[in-house]
Amino acid sequence: MKLQIQGPTSRYWAALGVLLLLLAWQIAAQRLGSLLMATPWQTLQALVQLLGSEEFHQHGLVTLGRIGLGVGLGCTLGSCLGVLAGLDARLRGLLEPLRWLLMAIPPVVVVVLAMLWFGLGSAMVVFISVLMLAPGMYVNTVKGMLLVDRGLIEMAHVYRLGPWQRLRYLYVPALAAPLTAALLIAACGGVRLVVMAEVLGADSGAGFALANARSTFDSAGLYAWTLLLLLLVAGLEFSLLQPLQRYLSRWQVAAHA
Amino acid sequence: MLDYRDVQLQLGGRPVLDGFDLRLEAGERVGILGPSGAGKSSLLKLIAGLLPAQGGQCRSDFRHAVLVFQEPRLLPWCRVGENLEIPLRAIGHGAAAARRLALDWLQRVGLEQYAQAWPGQLSGGMAQRVALARAFAVQPDLLLLDEPFSALDPALRGALTQLCREGLEHTGATLLCVSHHPHELIELVDRCVLLDSGRGRCFGIAAPGDAEARRATANSLQSVLMNLESSPS
Repeated sequence: MKLQIQGPTSRYWAALGVLLLLLAWQIAAQRLGSLLMATPWQTLQALVQLLGSEEFHQHGLVTLGRIGLGVGLGCTLGSCLGVLAGLDARLRGLLEPLRWLLMAIPPVVVVVLAMLWFGLGSAMVVFISVLMLAPGMYVNTVKGMLLVDRGLIEMAHVYRLGPWQRLRYLYVPALAAPLTAALLIAACGGVRLVVMAEVLGADSGAGFALANARSTFDSAGLYAWTLLLLLLVAGLEFSLLQPLQRYLSRWQVAAHA
Repeated sequence: MLDYRDVQLQLGGRPVLDGFDLRLEAGERVGILGPSGAGKSSLLKLIAGLLPAQGGQCRSDFRHAVLVFQEPRLLPWCRVGENLEIPLRAIGHGAAAARRLALDWLQRVGLEQYAQAWPGQLSGGMAQRVALARAFAVQPDLLLLDEPFSALDPALRGALTQLCREGLEHTGATLLCVSHHPHELIELVDRCVLLDSGRGRCFGIAAPGDAEARRATANSLQSVLMNLESSPS
């Protein structure tokens, strides 16, 4: 019997899942009323209006920039430190308390502290994103490094592969699976973090616009911004991260074909 | 030349080599025989620089010792051709020269049409041929073989032994080959060293020139090996 994990069947079920969610949303919106929850149709209308407005360009671009910077810096810092810590047990021990501290501290505490240190604005939002995303990336990278095939490390030694070659041809490909999974979590989490930080303490961005919509009881606007953020996460996942995952694991697909 | 005297090697606190002596002249082909756990693979790893000796004198004039492992150890995410090119680039060949040499050696082992394949698409025997090609491509002056054909069926083992002989002819490399199959080893080497587990003693046994005498030597080596395997250490 052939085991089918992905394919048209799973896509049909996913489409059905989306339809069910929309249906649940429609029912809930009708029961709660448009002041508390906009219907999918009202949200779509508000979204179309939002896309043509100056507000979207102004706040949307700011948020995109912050997500790019926060996720990029957080992931780069976490994975670089993870590679180094994977190679050196002393550094791993040295970084362990900091890793634990950053993973245990509630994000809202970091937001409050960052607002005190940096004030309102992009620096605060990016700082929070980096601080919250780097530990997850670090942990995944370290675990991946410790699982790199010892036999291949010996082979690299025998054939005198230099540090750059080991990184490029041994460690990075060996880390591809845990890193792309961590990157997916970081990118989606990064969007949520940036928006949360903007809601709590920024004077621009999608989170700021969300907070404004909430305070003016603009339910449709609130849901339109939320839908926009969901579309951003979907875009990141389906058009960037999943193709990257497929590219990096093409050797496995070919080997099992 | 390689000159090891009174070498001590411990792994996890357990003595593996204890007062081990070995002398290897350039161009020689020497086999290492011994029962399981005698420290044959550890000896090769010591010579390849993967393990440190705890005592004794380890002197080697060989510039580049390459170890071919029991498993092919190809980078699964790099194409077959790249698996040869990367070590060549590491020792200073340019991209074009490395590609040319890689294809040349793949051709010698009859796998040039697989240069763009992934290692996972190869059979065990093909992957081990690629591993041999990779080893010879970097032109080592000392080739260390750690039972590289042990996982293959007898027909393939014979073909790879022949490939190995041709590679050695071409590169002029010195050979140190570990095996527990005397009949195969004798096809490849000029003399054998018997590594006795625990005690670290070795015996030099000359391999005669004609086929009849070689078979007799292999038979006597086999019986010595069986005695060592069955006797308590």
